[in-house]
Amino acid sequence: MSRSLFVYVMIPFLGFLAVIQTVVGPRLSILNVRPDLILVFVIAWTLVYGPRQGLVLAFIGGLWMDIFSGGPMGGSSLALMIAAVIAGVGHQALFRSNLIVPTLVGVAGTLGYAAAYLAVLAAIGHDLPWQNTVERLVLPEVLYNGALMLILTPLLNRIPEPREVG
Amino acid sequence: MRDSERRVWSFADIGVRLVILSLAAMLIMALQLTGRLEVVQNAVAIITSPAQLSVTGLTDSVSSAVNSVREFRNLQQRNAELERINGSLLVENLRLREVERENQRLRELLAFAEVRPGLELRGGQIIARVIGQDSNNYLNFIMLDLGRRHGIRVGMPVVTDQGLVGRVSEVTETTSKVLLITDPTSTVNAILQSSRLTGAVGGRPGEDPIMDFIPQGAQFSVGEIVLTSGLGGNFPKGIPIGQVVEIRQRDFEIFQQAVIRPTVDFDRLELVMVVTSFDPLEFVPELDNPPVPPSGEPASETAPAGDQSEAPTETQ
Repeated sequence: MSRSLFVYVMIPFLGFLAVIQTVVGPRLSILNVRPDLILVFVIAWTLVYGPRQGLVLAFIGGLWMDIFSGGPMGGSSLALMIAAVIAGVGHQALFRSNLIVPTLVGVAGTLGYAAAYLAVLAAIGHDLPWQNTVERLVLPEVLYNGALMLILTPLLNRIPEPREVG
Repeated sequence: MRDSERRVWSFADIGVRLVILSLAAMLIMALQLTGRLEVVQNAVAIITSPAQLSVTGLTDSVSSAVNSVREFRNLQQRNAELERINGSLLVENLRLREVERENQRLRELLAFAEVRPGLELRGGQIIARVIGQDSNNYLNFIMLDLGRRHGIRVGMPVVTDQGLVGRVSEVTETTSKVLLITDPTSTVNAILQSSRLTGAVGGRPGEDPIMDFIPQGAQFSVGEIVLTSGLGGNFPKGIPIGQVVEIRQRDFEIFQQAVIRPTVDFDRLELVMVVTSFDPLEFVPELDNPPVPPSGEPASETAPAGDQSEAPTETQ
């Protein structure tokens, strides 16, 4: 897939994913936490295809997320890019076929995403109580996304070895 | 299962890309915060809101279908006649049932406005459909299918027949975003219905909201209804917020707190009413009369200074 085609395909696809996340996500919530479809998708994609494409996906996906959010435009992009960088480590150095690696990358990516997004919110004055937020939202979110990555791992392993195109 | 190949990208390459995209994201953020992105947001909202509405309708239909199938199975065991209902009738039935439910909700919303003339709701409400919730777990916003061209303005209160939902925080031409009372940055001046004690209800991440600034020593009980007090001018007076489910009282604190279970089920919001006839005051301190502790000492710094969080982020 060429770079421009990759972007043209991913823009509407990530938009569709964002709509699903805002409309269907609340119905799939567990412990007040909704699934982060775009975050999981970005992490999974980066794990397979590397951080070059992952960063672009994170940027586009983040903008879509912010269109459907009360948060600052661009904030989710920054947070997702952090997650993509973390996932990129898993792509570069480790065996992606290992069952633990995608789960660990999902957990670490979600933590990085949460930390970055909460920092952005704090920077614009939208302060959240840290302890409560970590206990009630971040940890369940980490577990949720880690579990999703665990479920996705067999699918990821079916994806043919990629060629980096970024 | 295979091992990944070593990629040929370098850290410098990724670093440059990361820096460029980060700068772009920050630029976009700055443009939005200074209100220069409105045209783009309007255009995107015009494109995306029909898609959201369609997916919402589809999701509702699927949910209704799943529920109806369960119901149908039970009825089938009890009544053999239902077995003869053919597929087309079932689909038609589902559709009509959805319409009926919607009519019922609309009637309830209208009745809510009719019986509360004191809330200045009569003739001044717009019923909007919820087309999505916040894409982020850390924020509690909902999106409505109506915007500026339908008369929605920033700051307008949003209610259902069950009680207070929140207030409009952002408006585009065709959609709007509502900050829910469950968001940690939301604060609503409130009063306990029976004991007439005042305080401020604020959201908490992943938990029920809490009513703070209730004077120490004041008596109230679990189960009391919490209403908007109207102080500060951000919300009409007397709209139900919730019910006290827990009292938190510690002797060394100046104020008591009460955990509130909202009357509105925020997970099942479909239709809401935007109160257009109410003119909210902006940047006015929420608590005009800070509560006085029982010892008679003046309560000063601990009272909420002003509702910065609910001050609308104007994008018009």
